[in-house]
Amino acid sequence: MLALTACGPTKPPNIGLEEAARAIDAARDAGAPTYAPMELRNAEDRLSAARARAAKRDFDEASSLVQEAQVDSELAAAKSRLGKAREKVDARTHENADLRQQSDSGINPADVQGGQQ
Amino acid sequence: MKRALAGILLLAVMTGAVAAKHDLDYQRLRASLDALAADPVLGQLAPAERALAEQAVQSLAEGGGRSERAHRVYMAERRVDIAYAAAQAAEQERRLTELDREHDRILLEASQRELQRARMDAERTRMESELRAEEAERLRLQGEQNAQEAESARAEAAQTQRLLDAQAKSAELARKEAQLAEAAAGDLRKRLSNLRATRGAQGMQMTLDDIAFAPGQVGLRPEAKASLGQLVAFVNRDPAKPIRIEGHTDSRGKPESNRVLSQHRADAVRTALVAAGVAANRITSVGLGEDQPVADNDTEEGRARNRRVDVILQDQAH
Repeated sequence: MLALTACGPTKPPNIGLEEAARAIDAARDAGAPTYAPMELRNAEDRLSAARARAAKRDFDEASSLVQEAQVDSELAAAKSRLGKAREKVDARTHENADLRQQSDSGINPADVQGGQQ
Repeated sequence: MKRALAGILLLAVMTGAVAAKHDLDYQRLRASLDALAADPVLGQLAPAERALAEQAVQSLAEGGGRSERAHRVYMAERRVDIAYAAAQAAEQERRLTELDREHDRILLEASQRELQRARMDAERTRMESELRAEEAERLRLQGEQNAQEAESARAEAAQTQRLLDAQAKSAELARKEAQLAEAAAGDLRKRLSNLRATRGAQGMQMTLDDIAFAPGQVGLRPEAKASLGQLVAFVNRDPAKPIRIEGHTDSRGKPESNRVLSQHRADAVRTALVAAGVAANRITSVGLGEDQPVADNDTEEGRARNRRVDVILQDQAH
């Protein structure tokens, strides 16, 4: 390990920087800027820090930071998934309540929906 | 409680990390992960994320340097958070699926209700039109019945009128018949009471019309009483003279029958004269049949004149 690090200048070890970057992109696509902005920021900050460390050839610290950026982005994605699901549940709950009301008052909800489209 | 304590002790022994006993981070994350696993709903969800979190929490016991430990705590915290978020998201998505099903069910029920309502509307419309048709049929039948009643009333009135007409007609006929009968009787009487004496070959004579006798009968009609009175007066004018009574017929029928009929009629007149007081020994009666016609037998008028009874007051010379 030490020997590998010593002759490393020519070839830096793969510490997962690219994977972490892709995980952040995925979290962003999942809606993290809206649903988990803090976690997304943490991931980005740690990825930046990891790159900085790697540039200084502090690969151990860089590796830890990359791993942290990875879990931060995974958490951001999970929270985004949760946030989206909650929003959909809320919307659907209201929609169903409205439909029931319309249905009970004798309006065919299918007609109302058709009219809205 | 003792068991829980024993469990924690056992766990601590198994991990082999004495330091972990006093590790607050480990205890906090361990408790959090246990609560997630014990949750009746969330505990069943996101098993992969929970396994990663379990692994990360366990790694806290592996020791290492200060910065290494801070890194592991950071990782374990995030893994526990991810396990929670994933389980909660799965739960929300499960609810969303339920809500979607409910949504479809509401729409289905609504359209079924709509269909039912449409069916009921159609059924009501059908029944209404059926009722209208029945009403129309009822009115039509009533109209027909009224027309029939009116027609039969008309027919009845016409029938009554015909009956009245017929009654009036028959009354009229009866009246006319009575008039005719009256006229005929009057005529008969007139003819029978208007006998005149004429001179014949044997002496003065009176001729009794055939109408003095009912057709085919021998006896004199009641209407011939007046004639009889005239005959009696005629024969009593000269009581010394003998009286000859001759019966005659027309040429119809058999000569022998005619002779017999003429004899009977002559006899009938003789009997009548005797009954009226004329001496029987003065009188002779003969039936001459069709042998001595006074008129043409080819006409009804002639035949009527031939059917007669002559009462002759004979001159003494005979």
